[in-house]
Amino acid sequence: MTTNMQPFSALQRGHGSGHGTESVCPVCLKRIPARKIRRGDDVVLAKQCPEHGDFEAVVWRGRRPSFADWTNAKTPSYPERPRTQVRDGCPYDCGLCPEHQQHTCTALLEITSRCDLGCPVCFASSGEPERSDPDPATIRGWFDRVREDGGECNVQLSGGEPTMRDDLPEIIAMGRERCFGFIQLNTNGLRLAREADYARKLKNAGLSSVFLQFDGVRDATHLALRGRPLNSAKRRAVDNCLEAGLGVVLVPTVVPGVNDEELGDILSFALKAGPLLRGVHFQPVSYFGRYPAPPADENRITLPEIMAALERQTGGMVKVEDFSPPGCEHALCSFHGAFLRTENGDLRPAREAKRSCCGGPNRIEPHPAAEGARKSIGYTARQWAAPSCSCATEKPSDSLSMFLEQAQTWSFSISAMVFQDAWTLDLARLKECCIHVLSPDGRLVPFCAYNLTAADGRPLYRRRP
Amino acid sequence: MSDLSFLPETNWRCGKCGEKLTPRITNVEYLGNTFTMELLACEKCGLVLIPEDLARGRMFEVEQLLEDK
Repeated sequence: MTTNMQPFSALQRGHGSGHGTESVCPVCLKRIPARKIRRGDDVVLAKQCPEHGDFEAVVWRGRRPSFADWTNAKTPSYPERPRTQVRDGCPYDCGLCPEHQQHTCTALLEITSRCDLGCPVCFASSGEPERSDPDPATIRGWFDRVREDGGECNVQLSGGEPTMRDDLPEIIAMGRERCFGFIQLNTNGLRLAREADYARKLKNAGLSSVFLQFDGVRDATHLALRGRPLNSAKRRAVDNCLEAGLGVVLVPTVVPGVNDEELGDILSFALKAGPLLRGVHFQPVSYFGRYPAPPADENRITLPEIMAALERQTGGMVKVEDFSPPGCEHALCSFHGAFLRTENGDLRPAREAKRSCCGGPNRIEPHPAAEGARKSIGYTARQWAAPSCSCATEKPSDSLSMFLEQAQTWSFSISAMVFQDAWTLDLARLKECCIHVLSPDGRLVPFCAYNLTAADGRPLYRRRP
Repeated sequence: MSDLSFLPETNWRCGKCGEKLTPRITNVEYLGNTFTMELLACEKCGLVLIPEDLARGRMFEVEQLLEDK
């Protein structure tokens, strides 16, 4: 460990358990102690494996918002039905284990491993020589298991590329029949672009929202990240969804030097698309798969940098202060901001009070994690789906009713979630994870554990093909 | 402002002063958003009655829209 590293004392007040945490060795995946250490304005996660040496990776850059203040203290809510026992400890007993500290907010079902893009940045190892798709009976069993273990959570159909399956509408309907209120499709949008009537079929089957991979507004960006000029296909996919009445969320993977200067343009595109385009959800790049050398810090972008870039690239229309740490997952995993579109096409924060308030983003009093999960499930389902039509027969009688009508339609969300890889994994964060992948054998596994790979590409959980 | 009221006649009286409540145009502020509504208020002290169906209905919906997740 080099001498210019100092423990970040502010962490002791800001992040509960102090600067110490645990992680894994990126080479052997054994659990090892780790520390969050300040380096100037940045914070790095540093760790040492007795066998494979020192590792560190940047997890926060900049003073605004302050790392120490970016908290949202929760008291743990343990699984009501843990499927595994604590035997080897986190992260080896996932399923969920009795020590996991947050309920399921979103359950991911990977309904195929096939994909029609071969992206270098795919976390799901899609496109490898694959297993056959799970049959409908298996997926029906998965829905039942999610209901049993995850309760009334939201569902995301993922893959691979789920639209590779011709029975996707039937799968969506299957989830609806099991009373899941919010079903989202995680897709690259190619089929939505190609088949004009496809979006309507999915909508009619009960799909709530499209989580559309959308890395930028220029072909150069798509070429760099996906190997193809996808600009017109992405726009067509958006148009077809909007025409079918489907809520759309744009999901850019943000890679330094590729599209980190394009965030404002993506937002601008989203705002011009109308009220069915419900928000933009940024995902800073993480490193899964085979990496002979540790990813350099300059290849990472952190949450505060995305907030600052949004402020800068929108000319201050959105501000860093408009964003809050999450109430559901660990504070360091994400940010979100709720906005309202104005008549001239701009955004203003839904909570005007937040800009004028002098307090930091963190809550002082811890709240039960389950309360955060419940709110997040509701917010996501309301915000990311198409706004429900106003079925009121009478005209709004006062400004509260008028506000409700307008806000339901013109609300807009900007959010980001940063996944952890073998270099950045912080087990304190993992224990609070609320995004759970259902493994083929029916266990809910926190997303970053499920996708975790050692430096040589060896997965911790994901089954090898 | 018109004298017309859309609120039904009631016998509500103020719990503090015992005065009759009468309809009044009231500004309700929540998280920086101001809403103008007609509510029953005490003629003497100004205490405003927010009926349960409003608190649990539209006000709750607005709270959900404005509050953080």
